[in-house]
Parts: sequence; structure tokens; C-alpha cells
Amino acid sequence: MSATGGDALIRMEGVHKWFGANHVIKGVDLSVEKGSVVVIIGPSGSGKSTLLRMMNMLEEPTEGKVWFEGKDITDIRTDLNRVRTDIGIVFQSFNLFPHMTAMGNITIALRKVLKLDAKEAAERARAELEHMGLPEKADEYPSQLSGGQQQRIAIARALAMRPKLMLFDEVTSALDPELVQEVLDAMKRLADEGMTMVVVTHEMGFAREVGTRMIFTDGGRIVEDGPPREIFDNPKDDRTKDFLSHVL
Amino acid sequence: MKTRGERIREWTSEQTALSLGLLLVGAGGVAVFFVGTILLVWLNGPTPWESLLETVLSAAQGTVLNLALALGAAAAIAGFASYRRMPTKAAVSGAALGVQAVLLVGVFYAFRKGENVALTVRQNFNFELLGEFGDAFVNGAKNTVFLAAVGEALGIALGLVLALLILSERVVVRAPARAYINFFRGTPLVWQLAFGYFGLKLGMRIPISTYQTAALVLGLNAGAYSAEIFRSGIQSIERGQREAARSLGMSYMQSMRYVILPQAFRRVIPPLTNEFIILIKDTSLVFVLGLTLEGRELFAVARDAYAERFNATMYIGAVIGYLAITLPLIRAVTMLENKLRAGYR
Repeated sequence: MSATGGDALIRMEGVHKWFGANHVIKGVDLSVEKGSVVVIIGPSGSGKSTLLRMMNMLEEPTEGKVWFEGKDITDIRTDLNRVRTDIGIVFQSFNLFPHMTAMGNITIALRKVLKLDAKEAAERARAELEHMGLPEKADEYPSQLSGGQQQRIAIARALAMRPKLMLFDEVTSALDPELVQEVLDAMKRLADEGMTMVVVTHEMGFAREVGTRMIFTDGGRIVEDGPPREIFDNPKDDRTKDFLSHVL
Repeated sequence: MKTRGERIREWTSEQTALSLGLLLVGAGGVAVFFVGTILLVWLNGPTPWESLLETVLSAAQGTVLNLALALGAAAAIAGFASYRRMPTKAAVSGAALGVQAVLLVGVFYAFRKGENVALTVRQNFNFELLGEFGDAFVNGAKNTVFLAAVGEALGIALGLVLALLILSERVVVRAPARAYINFFRGTPLVWQLAFGYFGLKLGMRIPISTYQTAALVLGLNAGAYSAEIFRSGIQSIERGQREAARSLGMSYMQSMRYVILPQAFRRVIPPLTNEFIILIKDTSLVFVLGLTLEGRELFAVARDAYAERFNATMYIGAVIGYLAITLPLIRAVTMLENKLRAGYR
């Protein structure tokens, strides 16, 4: 592994984050290999969302460096808009654009950022809607869709950019229980297709079944890191044991 | 078991013939006042003012007033006196209308019995005289609308830019915009108009017409107020919208243009329309500039016409013009707000 980040898709080194006087991330080193599905779990306030959001620089690390494909994205000279087209993110609160149809939501960045022509953008959007099992919802507005459908549109919107990495920030937490599975199924499909994914979640079933690697964070640090089955069956750290005993 | 409040409400909300009758009496009081007065004025003619005065002082008008007073007083007394003694839902509405009828009659009566009734009618309701200035008032109304519309268009363009500037992270970008806004919000519009005209146009010989000066100053002023409206509109858009847009690789300007502003615009339409209504009224201040005859707006027309004929009916003419412009807009704001509350689609 070279000094500039190596073969890992994303690599973090000595990363700290303060919000004012609040020290949220206290020195994290982490690399995510191509094709892996990294699941991040941990108690609320442990910094897992902040960690994820630093991977596409929605949060800027106060200290430390982050590389994407060997490129230092904490360097102010890096064109973040360009980097972000390669990193898709899906949010807890969907964040679909309410004034656009599902089609509009997916095509806007294709046309304005990737500069595809309208026809090509529409074709790609249709393919992604198909992929997410929502081909008939192209002309619906977000307010006309269920939470699960909105979230799958949001995934389609991110996928249409053909990203190399997908980030999922507690994407099922705002959903009614009966709508969670359709979103998890879509994510599992994506993992099976070989997408590199980093997933912050409370869905332990998903973590165990789909994750190739699991990270447990507590108090702004990575406490445990390994294959999900191993951590579930045989947690080493007391805090992990405590957390798992509460959620399982 | 129902609560006492529920039982009272149930009982009083029962409709009875007597209660409905009292509502009709109260409504009759108000109706007799308006319909009777309007009918008498119409029959005898609103012009010349002498015939209007004749109507006001006529025995028929006296009968109308007495009848309205009797009906109003009866409804008020019976309605309030019977409260909780019988089902009174409609009767209480009748009593409220009755009170209104009594007050209207009282005001009219005081006016009619006053020493200066002839003078008042001649000075304020001389519609014949107003008719002579009809074309001037129509032209004035056009100028009022035009000045306000140009001012608002300038104000929106300027306000949008200022709003983006005061939302900047950098103090050096925020500060000048903030200073501009505070200056225009902190000084009277009439001063801004006077200074723009005497100080800048005349004092510095800026080659624009007086009319253009007025529109420009109104626009500069509206810009400061629109900026605050746009700022709050932009800030009201959830943070996640900007994050989603930026995560798709959009630049700051792209995320503003395609994601934030289209949503913010929707939300600021009602406050911007309110701002437009205020601007329409504020055009009355451009009289300080001394506009040409064709350039005068409603208030200046009224003022000049008054100076010519010393008759305050001219100001009644102006107020009719203002209300004809603003009332539909006020209605539009209410409708827009209701529509917006319904959300997207």
C-alpha cells in the first residue's frame, strides 16, 4: 500500500472531527476495499453518521486525511463536485427534490452535472427505476409515493450517476416497519451485483447477512472491526458485547 | 356523561323559529340601513352635491334610519337578553348584527344633525367635480401600477442577489449587502426619493427623467425588503436538500438554481405579494419629486386636483383607485397561501 492511499477505494487516516467544543470523531483510520460491503453499527452519538458523511466531504474532517481512489479529497485543490459524482449517498430522510417528479429527481444531475442529453438521461433513469422495481412511478411526485418508494427513488437517483461507491446513512430508520424490507432487498441486490457499499444501520439482520465486514464505533472511535458473523458470535470488546446484548 | 359545556353548546345550537327570527331582525337592521340609503341616493341622484345633501336631510332618509335603529336595537336587546334562556345560536348573531346597525345609524345620525353637514357633503362627496378629473385619475392609477410594478421587478432582481450575498460565509461579502439593506430599511422612503431626486438626479445631473428616478428609487428600496424575504425563504429549505444536491456533484450555484431557489420561490410568493401591496401604497410618496402631468400617480393627481378646486372629494377619488388595485391583490395573497398550504400537487 502506497503513501497516497493505495488500492483501497476510500482510506481515512488520523481523522478527527470537532463540532465546536464537541469532539465527535477521535482519530479514525479506515480503508474500504473495492467490492466490500462495510456495515457500521454503534450506539447513537457514537459518530457513525459523521464518519460516513466525511467519506464524501459533507462533513470536513477537522484533522486527518481522506483519500478516494488514491486522491486526497481533503486537499482544498481537489474538485469535490467531480469526486462526488463517483460517490452516491442515500439519506435517512430521503431528501428527494419535492418540486420534481421521480424522473426529474434522477435526471437533473445527469443532465446538469454529467451533461448527458435529455434522451440519454431519461433512458438511464428508466433503467434505474426498473432496477429498483418502480418503473411505473416515473411521473409521480415524491409526495405521492410511500416512504419505501421514495427511498428506492433516492437510491435510483444515486445509482444513475454510476458511482463507484455507495454510502447509506440509516436509510431505513425513517420508514414504517412494513416498508423497511423493500429497501433492504434493493440494497442486498446492489451488494450482490458487486457494488462497494458503506452502510450505517440499525438493521442487524442485514448487517449479518449482507455485510462482508462490520465496524463497531463507540465514543468517536472504531472499537471493533471484522467479519460480521465473528463480531456477532464472539464480540471481543465489552462495549460491543453490551451493545449487541441490547439490540439482538 | 356530557360535560356542562357540551350540554350548553348542544342546547344553544338548536335552531328554533324564534332564534332564526331574531337573526332576521338584526340582519334586517343592517340591510335597511344600506339598501335604504343606497336606494334613496340612487333615486335622487348622487350628483350634484346639492341633491345628495337633499337626500341625506330628507324625511325618507330619516325613516330609513329610524327603521334600521328600531330593528337593530330590538335584535340586540332580544338576542342578548335571551342568551342561555333559550336556544340562541342564530339569535346571538342577530344581536351582533343589531349592534352594528345601531352603530351605523348613530354615526350617520350624528353626521346628519351636525352643523356642517352641507359643507361636509360639498367638500367630500362632490362627485360631479370628481368626474371632471376622471381621465386624470385613470392615468394616475396606471402610473401607480406601473411605478410599483417596475419597482417590484427591480426589487426582486436586486433582492435575490442581495439575499445570496448575505447568506455568504464570508463577512467581507455579507457586510456590504447587510449595510445596503440596513440603510434602505433604516431611512424613510420619502427621504430616499427626495435625495435621489434633488441630491443625485439634480445635484449630480444624472441624465434620467424624474419618472425614472422615482421607479429606480422604489426598486432600490424594494430590493432591501425583498432580500430579507428571499433570505428567509432560502433558509426555510431543509438542509438535506442542499446536501442531496451537492452530493450529486452539483456546484453551489447549480444547487441554488435547480434545487433550492425553485422551492424557495414558491414559499416567498405570498410575502412578496404583500411587499408589492406595500409598494403600491408607497408610490404615493413620489409626489415629492414633482412629476409631469402625465407622470403623476394617484396621490399626486388627488393632491393637484385638490389644490386646483379645494375640494376633498379628490382624495376620495384616490382612495377608490388604491382599493381597486389592492383589494384584488389581497384576495390573491389569501388564495395563494391556501394553495401553498395544500403542498406540492
